[in-house]
Amino acid sequence: MIGDYDIQDAEERKMVSDTQIPAYESEFMNAKMFLQLASTNTGDNLYDHLCETLNKILAERPLNVIDFFEEYSRRIKEKRYKPQTDHLEDIYIPPSSFALANTIIPMLKPLPPGEPSTVDPADLEVADMSQNNMLQLLYYFEHCGLGLPRPEMFYIMLSMRKLIYKEPISSIRFWGRIFGTLKNYNIVECELKNEEYIKRNETYQLLQLDEVKHHDEENEELLEENRIRKALDEIARVQQFGGEGSKYPRQLPPEPKSLYEELPEPPSEPSGVGLNRMVYYVSTGIEEPWCQLPDVTPKQIRTCRQVYKSFTGNLEEPVLTYPEFPGKEKEYLRAQIARITSGTQISPLGYFTFGEEELGEGAGDEEAEEEAEEVPEPSKTAFIKNSKYEPPPLKDLLDPSMSFWVHHTPFILPQGRTTWWNPYPLPEGLGEGADEESKLGEAEEEEVDDYDLKKGRLSIEPETGPPLLTPLSEDAAVEAVPPWSVRCSSNIMDDFAIAVVRSNLWPGAYCFSTQGKLFQNIYLGFGLKYMEHNFSPMPLPPVQQEYPTGAEIMEIADPTGAEEEKWRVDHLPKPQEELPVIGEELGEGEEEEEEEMEYDD
Amino acid sequence: MTYIFLNMNLNDILQSLDCSGHFGHVVSTEEAIILHNSLLILQNENHFKEVFFWGKIYGCEKDYFVAYGYEKDILYGKVFYYSQNCIDWGLMPKATKIGFLLAPLCSTKFQGDPSLIIDILIEKDDTLVPGKRKQPELRKLKEEDRLAATVYLIMDEAGIIPRAGIFRRPDGVVINNIAFEGLKGIDAREWSSYVHFRVPTRKQNTNLLTRDDYNYATDFLDPLDIDIPEGCWMLLINQSEDVVILKNLYWPGLVFYHHLRTPKHGFVYFGHGKKCLDVPFMLSPFLV
Repeated sequence: MIGDYDIQDAEERKMVSDTQIPAYESEFMNAKMFLQLASTNTGDNLYDHLCETLNKILAERPLNVIDFFEEYSRRIKEKRYKPQTDHLEDIYIPPSSFALANTIIPMLKPLPPGEPSTVDPADLEVADMSQNNMLQLLYYFEHCGLGLPRPEMFYIMLSMRKLIYKEPISSIRFWGRIFGTLKNYNIVECELKNEEYIKRNETYQLLQLDEVKHHDEENEELLEENRIRKALDEIARVQQFGGEGSKYPRQLPPEPKSLYEELPEPPSEPSGVGLNRMVYYVSTGIEEPWCQLPDVTPKQIRTCRQVYKSFTGNLEEPVLTYPEFPGKEKEYLRAQIARITSGTQISPLGYFTFGEEELGEGAGDEEAEEEAEEVPEPSKTAFIKNSKYEPPPLKDLLDPSMSFWVHHTPFILPQGRTTWWNPYPLPEGLGEGADEESKLGEAEEEEVDDYDLKKGRLSIEPETGPPLLTPLSEDAAVEAVPPWSVRCSSNIMDDFAIAVVRSNLWPGAYCFSTQGKLFQNIYLGFGLKYMEHNFSPMPLPPVQQEYPTGAEIMEIADPTGAEEEKWRVDHLPKPQEELPVIGEELGEGEEEEEEEMEYDD
Repeated sequence: MTYIFLNMNLNDILQSLDCSGHFGHVVSTEEAIILHNSLLILQNENHFKEVFFWGKIYGCEKDYFVAYGYEKDILYGKVFYYSQNCIDWGLMPKATKIGFLLAPLCSTKFQGDPSLIIDILIEKDDTLVPGKRKQPELRKLKEEDRLAATVYLIMDEAGIIPRAGIFRRPDGVVINNIAFEGLKGIDAREWSSYVHFRVPTRKQNTNLLTRDDYNYATDFLDPLDIDIPEGCWMLLINQSEDVVILKNLYWPGLVFYHHLRTPKHGFVYFGHGKKCLDVPFMLSPFLV
């Protein structure tokens, strides 16, 4: 380099001497001084900037630097804007993930040893976590093309462990994740202990009693009506004597009465039965607490089917839709979970089997029995794990007909329940299938009775769905879309391949089964059903008749002068007809009379 | 030496759990290994500067894997390939004009057979497809063409990169910005910190002048805040504040990830290839 300079220098000198430029040194100084001219805006000068930039480039030696020269130059300039004289003491800014680390550390400690107790460990009834080794599941999920980041899976496992010691849970499973616009929901599916279900159903019956009280309110409504009637009469009376108009008594028409009768609303299933068999806990993050979702009602299910709404991530967010959704986002989330669960929870054929006999353990089972009794069709609600389960060969699991996979959650009827509820039950004496929910109260039954006589109660066809453990091959295809697609996780290693089932109706719902006895359902999606065509909101219902149409409220054209005249002539008293029409004065008087007659009508 | 990541590049495929795993969908273990190698061969055969995994479109019978590479210009020079077994890659046909018109009208799902002919019923008064019709018309579209149009549409509407992720050289060629250092935590919460990875639809001046601190070389792309309705993108920063995830409601299945303060970013699509037109119903109206 130095040598180069020397040569160049010498050449230059020669050139200078050749061309006889006298003061090349002062020229150089001039140029340098120009470059060192401080900017009037920033006070920087180009000379220092170029030095710094070239220094940086030579130090870093990036590839193709000429393409990025501007960028380098800009970044050096940006750095220079930092104040040189920093008089403030540096404060320490904790790293962004510090807050998270702080909350996770307590969870990472092993559980404190429990109090020594005489109870047999088997009777402690802490939910079994052996099925929830999330890292093992993640290993399989990864083979299927699914999965959450590894640390998250671990944290979910930790917080599930915390949950089972805090809440009365007898079994727990990671259900999946629903993405919201602001936050995501992690969801676990739990079965509560029987005592808990019994306790809940006591309060459930209390709620039913409340509904009976509601009928008293209806009586009050009747009283209210009478009051309005009296008030109307009073107004009529005052008008009559107050001299406000005609001297004839004039009765005001009665208050219009709504003819609309709401269809009886099916009651929600008690805790531990049907759609409310499982209880769901959600949390929106690793450190967020688990929050229990309320039980679902049939109305929520039915409304859910008519709306298409994304989740926000805030459980208390109002759900603004048409038709109006009864509840907040947590109810909406619960209803969608119920629908997804019912549609997509599947297991390999033979994993579950109907038990030989019901194990009468608690209220939940008893109710299940009762329901089984009332429906003579073979719709068993209880199944047990088959202890003699032999996994079907992989070839069968991968069969596109899907006859080796079965649903293990009950079908939701159009009514919004898993068991059909008769809205117009037979009186206790007549039918043997009196519904347990018919305890709703005598008042309602009576009311329903006269309605029934009109409609004929036998005309109501009970809704039915496919029984439990029906193969997926029975599922109806929606407009040529097969409801399920099955894939093999590996084309190379047949020995370790996993069968993956993907739901086409609920995008995000998956189930895998290994060639062993392990299978798992998971949902990772937006919580919305697939739509062949775009969603169209429900149209407004046709305008209903509010009250009977009669002469009182009919809109008719005003009579013309000729018509009035004709009417007058027709209604003239007979003797007057013979009299000759004298003058206009008489005509006026008659008109008054005419008016009076009209009121009499 | 810094590595620049765009879409899902070959290194990300092997670590997809940390990238697209936030969305629940990853490239499965076996596919990742096959893709990693077969795409390298594809890159070599076509003399691509870089090659990226674009995503997966689910069919009823079989799935499509889509990848693309570029020789020189990352924005204008993309060449798409598709495959059904991750190994044999076929050149994706150029999306035709009629494909663009008909693909959004297909109501069925992809089947997984590129040569399948799909019948599309066009209503009498449909205004999307030009031409006057006296009665409903039946048009045909090959699934391969539908795939091409769908991929192009997704790329056009939902493909995004962080601001300053790509760089336009003075000679007009667009390349990766090797000086990109990643978004800061505060910038990552701004819609204008993300730009559409497509040929800009607005005038350069408009795109530049909407920013105070514009840069001719990087801010020529359309920012995300011009998308309507507000809220059609879902932005989520994870709890340890090191990854930002963006999802699009119009194209459920598209996920963009960016590891904050690092140049690592990309997007990938796992879905049915159908646009969700119901976004206005899905969002909550803003009540005062």
